[in-house]
Amino acid sequence: MEAKTPSAAVNVPLYRKIRLAVVVWMTVVVLAAFSFGGLWLNIPRINMLEHTARNLYFHVPMWFTMMAIAIVSAYHSFRYLQNGHVIRDVRARAAALLAVVFGILGLVTGSVWAHYTWYEGTNIWWNFDPKQSMAAIQVLIYGAYFVLRSALDDPEKRARIAAVYNLFAFVTVPFLLYVLPRQQDSLHPGAEGNPAFSDITHPIMRFVFYPAIIGFIGVFWLLYTQRVRAAQIQQRLDALDEPEL
Amino acid sequence: MTNWLHGAWAVFSKDLRLELRSRYAINMLLMFVLASILLVLFAVGSEDISPQAEAGLLWIVILFSAAVGLGRAFIAEEERGTVLLLQLNTRGSMVYAGKLLFNFLLVLGVNLVSLGVFLVLLSVEVALPGLLLLTLLLGALGLSGATTLLAAIIARAAGRGPLLPVLLFPLLVPLLLSVVHATQNSFAGAVPGSDGWTASLNDLLALTGFAGVVITASVLLFDYVWND
Repeated sequence: MEAKTPSAAVNVPLYRKIRLAVVVWMTVVVLAAFSFGGLWLNIPRINMLEHTARNLYFHVPMWFTMMAIAIVSAYHSFRYLQNGHVIRDVRARAAALLAVVFGILGLVTGSVWAHYTWYEGTNIWWNFDPKQSMAAIQVLIYGAYFVLRSALDDPEKRARIAAVYNLFAFVTVPFLLYVLPRQQDSLHPGAEGNPAFSDITHPIMRFVFYPAIIGFIGVFWLLYTQRVRAAQIQQRLDALDEPEL
Repeated sequence: MTNWLHGAWAVFSKDLRLELRSRYAINMLLMFVLASILLVLFAVGSEDISPQAEAGLLWIVILFSAAVGLGRAFIAEEERGTVLLLQLNTRGSMVYAGKLLFNFLLVLGVNLVSLGVFLVLLSVEVALPGLLLLTLLLGALGLSGATTLLAAIIARAAGRGPLLPVLLFPLLVPLLLSVVHATQNSFAGAVPGSDGWTASLNDLLALTGFAGVVITASVLLFDYVWND
């Protein structure tokens, strides 16, 4: 199998440079997000939102990142079915795991945020908002993906069938985008009757918001490449353990 | 093309003949539907429930019966050891088409039976029977389309039986939302502002699209599951 896999060599110095850049970038973003001093960083206060508006820098980029991860995972599953390279399966699996992580983080940050703003005075933590439902279903799908993986023993068969399920689930998700908003009311900006994101967000917040998106995708890239490399090393170790016949 | 149709039909008629011989799936599904509707009845009691709750309960029964019954399609082939024979004699798409047709008819039958029992036992009044039948038909198509590929997937896995609902239910959420909404409209008739058909148009479109997409994707993906 090893011969079929495209070269797994990593340009380590370049990798370290990008890693350093992501770490510095995210540090600046987090500092900016929590910074209270100075006029230009002091976010405008909106009734009820107040300082929770800073969650915009975390909650929303987590969603964007999760969407990006879902696309990455489905792409590698598709490529796996095309050429059967083991590395494609490793990548699809690593991305799916991170999609679960970012999905849960997004759900938690959103749920806490909504509890203290939209649903203030009530005892609601979870209300079926279309975007929330969709994220929950995405997490369920990736959960099912891992259950399916654990039910298959043969590595080659596992990779192939998991890729089929991943792609099959991926094509049904857009229907949620169509069906859900027509049946459930949304409080999110941009939903029917609500002002769009650009109308209610002060321009100053975008100086942190857009870099935060890039930063979170960078964090994903770091975790993702690390998981992929770890999986490759694990595979090589497993291959060493196998007795040569 | 005629060759292909012939092959798909042969797979279908083989399944049908085996089923009529043992009647395992049909009997099991009937009993499952009856038992679960009776459970619903006992749980609800003589309570007067809203059309939304009625439509939701009906479709939950249908989805669970599909998840229990349709997994058989490919597991039976593995158990009888006839997979290799089918792989050698037919192309994957023929097998898929034959199994899809069989599953579709099975789900449609289950839908009609559970609907009949449900309507009589819970004394539900249907304002728009045409809408209800169309919803059942499109729902059965989408449901069997999604389940047939997943049944082929779980036949390859070790745990098998209980795996199907885990894989199936997250994918069926768009279907469930649409069918429940359309069924609810067909029970209630008019909704404020428009009549039942206009209010259900979006759901019917979504159901048609869902069935089309899952069947297309299944045809494209089936060979990867079926061939070793």
